[in-house]
Amino acid sequence: MQRRHLLVAIALAGTFTLASAVGGDPVAAKGKLSACIGCHGIPGYRTGYPEVYAVPKLGGQHPEYIVRALQAYKSGERSHPSMQGIAGSLSDQDMADLAAYYGGVK
Amino acid sequence: MKVQLMRRLGVLAAALVLSPSALAGDPARGQAKSTVCAACHGVDGNSPTPEFPRIGGQYEDYLLQALLAYKHGERKNPIMASQVESLSRQDLADLAAWYASQPGLVFKR
Repeated sequence: MQRRHLLVAIALAGTFTLASAVGGDPVAAKGKLSACIGCHGIPGYRTGYPEVYAVPKLGGQHPEYIVRALQAYKSGERSHPSMQGIAGSLSDQDMADLAAYYGGVK
Repeated sequence: MKVQLMRRLGVLAAALVLSPSALAGDPARGQAKSTVCAACHGVDGNSPTPEFPRIGGQYEDYLLQALLAYKHGERKNPIMASQVESLSRQDLADLAAWYASQPGLVFKR
């Protein structure tokens, strides 16, 4: 009996860890969007120097890819002055939440 | 005489404007060049796995900028670097035009 409880507990713990590692909360992201919408929230907004180009669309992108992109900006592996600055201030949870928000099409 | 010359110049100007520019990307040419890309990014740029980003529906100039950044080494990724190495600017512009013309990514406020 006790062993079964232990197994259930282990299974639950595993599920919870998996969910929190992959799953961000799109609702929690709403309070973290202020730094994003100035560029990504304006349709067709163009920026960059010296070449000017449209700020990429994020709606529908794979959330895991968005997280990797943010981590690459944070570590400096991927360079872009504004994105490095903003990603540098984000926690892993912030990144997951924002990725969940933008990754969802609606 | 002058009128005839003007007419000819007009026809020439129209031909220049209407002919597909050598610099602008052409989606049809891009599709023909996209076979290798499809292996990771999917036929229409909607990659089936999160390992590779969706690029279908992305802004054309953003895609071209990203491809050029890989080509010039400003953006580092071993797979992409080796893919774009042998491609001309025209090839990259055509590919950007092709993927931008496909459904996929959407603007999200």
